Amino acid sequence: MSEQENVIEIRNLSKVYRDFWGRKKVQAVKSLSLDVRKGEVFGLLGPNGSGKTTTIKMLLGLLFPTSGEISILGKKASDVAKNERIGYLPEESYLYRFLNADETLDFYGRLFNLSNEDRVRRADELIKMVGLNNARRRQLKEYSKGMTRRIGLAQALINDPELVLLDEPTSGLDPIGTREMKDLILNLKEQGKTVVLCSHQLADVQDVSDRIAVLFQGELKLMGDVDQLLELREETEIRTGNLSDAAIAEVEEVLKKHGMSSSDIKKPRVDLEELFLRTVRESGERPGRRFTAEEMAATQTKGDSEETTEDPAS
Amino acid sequence: MDFDPIPYNLQYATGSWLRLVGVLAAFAVALGALGSIMSAGSTGRIFSNGLLGYLKDIVTISPRRVFAIMKLTLKEAWRRKALLVFVVFAMLLMFAGWFITDQNDRAELQLNVHITFMLTTISWLILPVVMFLSCWGLPEDIRIRSLHTVVTKPVRRIEVVLGRMLGFVSMSSVILLVMGVAGYIWITRQAPESLADSSDSDRRSFLTCRVPVYGNLYFLNRLGLPSNAGINVGDPWLHRSFVEGNSRSRAVWVFPQVTEDTLLPDKDGNVLHLESRFEAFRTVKGSSESMSEGLEAQFTLVSDAREDAFSSFGVGPGFREIGEALRAGEFQSAAELLDTAAQRMRDTPDDFPAADCEQVTISCIRQVVPVLDYLGEDLADVAQAFGEFGEASAAVVLAGDDRDSKMPGMADACSRLATAVREGGPIMMELMPSLEVPLEPFRVAEYHNGEEENLKKYPRTLTYAANYEGTARFLTSTFRELEKEGKLFAGDQPADDLLTILEDDYNVSPINAELVLDVLSDQLEDGTVVVNSDKATFKQDDGNWLGLFTRLVREEKLISQDPAGWVLEADLFDDLARNGLLRVEVSCLDDQMYLGMARPDLFIRLPDRPFWVGYGKALLNIGLMLGLVVVLGVTASCVVKGPVSFFFTLAVFVIGQAFHPMMMRIIEGNEAGNGMVESAIMIFQHRNPNSGIDAKSSTQAMVERVDNAAGTMLSGASSIIPDFSIFSQASTYIGNGFDVPWSTSILPALMTFIGFFVPCVLIGAACLKFRELEAK
Ligand SMILES: Nc1ncnc2c1ncn2[C@@H]1O[C@H](COP(=O)(O)OP(=O)(O)OP(=O)(O)O)[C@@H](O)[C@H]1O
Ligand SMILES: [Mg+2]
Repeated sequence: MSEQENVIEIRNLSKVYRDFWGRKKVQAVKSLSLDVRKGEVFGLLGPNGSGKTTTIKMLLGLLFPTSGEISILGKKASDVAKNERIGYLPEESYLYRFLNADETLDFYGRLFNLSNEDRVRRADELIKMVGLNNARRRQLKEYSKGMTRRIGLAQALINDPELVLLDEPTSGLDPIGTREMKDLILNLKEQGKTVVLCSHQLADVQDVSDRIAVLFQGELKLMGDVDQLLELREETEIRTGNLSDAAIAEVEEVLKKHGMSSSDIKKPRVDLEELFLRTVRESGERPGRRFTAEEMAATQTKGDSEETTEDPAS
Repeated sequence: MDFDPIPYNLQYATGSWLRLVGVLAAFAVALGALGSIMSAGSTGRIFSNGLLGYLKDIVTISPRRVFAIMKLTLKEAWRRKALLVFVVFAMLLMFAGWFITDQNDRAELQLNVHITFMLTTISWLILPVVMFLSCWGLPEDIRIRSLHTVVTKPVRRIEVVLGRMLGFVSMSSVILLVMGVAGYIWITRQAPESLADSSDSDRRSFLTCRVPVYGNLYFLNRLGLPSNAGINVGDPWLHRSFVEGNSRSRAVWVFPQVTEDTLLPDKDGNVLHLESRFEAFRTVKGSSESMSEGLEAQFTLVSDAREDAFSSFGVGPGFREIGEALRAGEFQSAAELLDTAAQRMRDTPDDFPAADCEQVTISCIRQVVPVLDYLGEDLADVAQAFGEFGEASAAVVLAGDDRDSKMPGMADACSRLATAVREGGPIMMELMPSLEVPLEPFRVAEYHNGEEENLKKYPRTLTYAANYEGTARFLTSTFRELEKEGKLFAGDQPADDLLTILEDDYNVSPINAELVLDVLSDQLEDGTVVVNSDKATFKQDDGNWLGLFTRLVREEKLISQDPAGWVLEADLFDDLARNGLLRVEVSCLDDQMYLGMARPDLFIRLPDRPFWVGYGKALLNIGLMLGLVVVLGVTASCVVKGPVSFFFTLAVFVIGQAFHPMMMRIIEGNEAGNGMVESAIMIFQHRNPNSGIDAKSSTQAMVERVDNAAGTMLSGASSIIPDFSIFSQASTYIGNGFDVPWSTSILPALMTFIGFFVPCVLIGAACLKFRELEAK
């Protein structure tokens, strides 16, 4: 369907969590369909409990879909061979706490059957890259949350993967770490890799993502190019150097002449946060629908006047 | 010591294993298909994909990844301080010596206590650690989700299972090795300390591993007929069977593969070591000598082709006399008896009941014909006659009620057999010697609870007092040799220097040499022997030298004038163990006394192995046991959580260790008692096992059915639950000063381990692959 190659194709994917007796507990994902193209950074957004992690786990074969099809790197999710080309950073770093950083990377390197030199070289590079050079001989149980996150990231990249799945990569990181993470993601993109990330740090997602999808209670609510989604079609942005009052009055004069009553110079674009909040709110009000970029833009004025602090997940 | 080392039947075991695994696999596949179709409701594509993926996983296992996970497991155990168990061990070692030494015991019993204590301590200390770790490892990995990170690498689930298992196995092996070495040092240092009153050289000799060669045992009853068991002196639990003193009753061991390598170097050349421990049982007090020193027993080494061929011919009473005649080598009278029997088969066929015919069939086909064939072409006619007779009697057996119609056929075959035996008699006599070499009697004291051990050493060349046949054969071979060399006759008289030749070259005592010469002269005078140009010719009845001397000996014309008897020499290999089989018969010489023995009570002792060899093998067996525990624990933990799999493994271990042998006995019907429900009702009704329950026959039938079903379930369970008692056998061997034999102890332990390892890995991998790794 697309001119570009799809790295991930999800069709009608559903997941129902059941309890021990097979009774339905919760439907975490509802007939989800989406594609991730080769070489893009794809942001998966959604409030807590909307099924992001569940989706990623199904992609990796950790969970089995209740129905639907998954193709990832052209293979089935249950095929372990695909893991050769995938790097995965779990939601929390599930690592062996009795190993130190070196041993951790060595262990995961062995699981990829990397040669000895490759392992040592990659481990060294990655430890330096994530900034743990001083702590590489300490056991992970002594690590802080952010340090654990960093070593988790390093292990995800040990095999130089084509596709990187990052579940909340910036959680627990300090501002510098967050910055570095974003640089890293862009760097990966530059190298032609595909990145899928989930995050609540919307500003970060906005900065790095090419396309995003918003999930709400397991349903896909919104998907598209970040640029397109955030563009405000009803407005035109004019940005100049600092104008004198007289100059402003003149510009307003010109605008009036073209039938524009007043202009708002405060916010030239919505940021992702706002779009996100709006999508979530609309989803709550009009369930069972998927929205387009235009619709979202149209709700803008309404959204501004309303209270938006209500927790969408509750 | 009451173990009976029965060699492990590898082929049979492998066969039944394959069958069982096949059934289980088919069952699992069917279950999987059903499950996936029920849950997914699909056409089964999910199932076939799953199965294919699973098989692909097995084929693409990467040893390097398995090794990585194994190393991780080891590291985990190390960093989690699982090895604290060493500390407990060291403490035990330091103080144990105070408590387990009993100075009053015999030295080898003390040593037994030390060795058994050490091996038991080692296994019981490591066991809980290993069981705990292997049961908790995977569930914990799943719970804290570190396994998520692992399985999102290109790791097959089967590699996780394998890596975990091998990791825990190597961990327990390391602990075992360290403890084993410490234990070895402790035993070698502590044990001699507790044996303070025995001399230094004794201590050394206790810490060895004897290497026994066991034979097969059967008994000859009072009539000299073979039977599987001897006499039961009344104790039903006794594993030994008894032979009666001063009778034809004997215990017969046949040892395989006795060659010159079997001999051990000794002061005067190589000797055969025969070690025995028999039990004495008295019906009367006996002489004061026998009271103080024990019963008199005797070994007789036997090489008896006639016994080999005909021992079971006379088991059925109808053929008893014929069998006896054949065994005694009296072939002419055997032929006559066969003729009479043929006549009786025609006249009074009821004299030969079906049981007798069956016995004689088995004897002919299984025993007589193979032995005669083995002895060579010359006996082909006789062998064929025996074969035909066996077939004819088989026809009678198979005819059932219609046997009278087949009886004439058997009678004809019997007549033909009589002719064959008559004509073939001399050749049979020639080719089927019976040599009995009685050895010096010795005493068996009963005051050591039957554990007194006798080590006897015999040189290759044995000197013995010959019986009739031995005398006849000796003289025959001597005279044949002399005749060939032309030294026997001078004209038609015995050579002048014959006396000196017999004395000097053949070690015949002077008085016996003179006797032989006298008898020979008599024969020449009688004309029973005629000399023709230095060659003897014989009267028709005798036929040759052997016939002549056999007759003379029977007529008691050659009874030794020397009180020592005809003292001859026999070679252990040339005369006795000619085809590698050495037959040792044990008899009791004291009247009204009984000597008890079981198969392991007499063995040939090969060169001892150093103590550490057997000790190492015992450790290997413990290692295999721990390995099996790991395998079970890890497999269980693929399905259920830590505590559940711990209790599961513990239960399997306890059942397998304590009850498996009993289960087998019940299944094989060797356990006294009745069915489960039946027994319960009996207890309730206060009835004894022989009377049956007090109920209507319909009720009885139902009880029986329930019990049969329970029996089937039990036999199913017994093939799934491993027999852990196999693994402790090695400690028994080494504790009693024996080497641990490969075929009866290590091989079964190894095969049990592998037999569970393979299916368990497959089951564990399947469980891990087809479940979601979410902690629930
Ligand atoms: N193991 C589980 N058993 C039962 N329900 C689960 C399980 N894991 C997740 N869920 C449920 O599935 C839904 C989706 O959860 P998921 O973890 O995918 O959300 P998420 O989008 O990753 O949320 P967050 O942003 O908090 O990480 C939630 O309602 C959650 O309660
Ligand atoms: Mg999540």
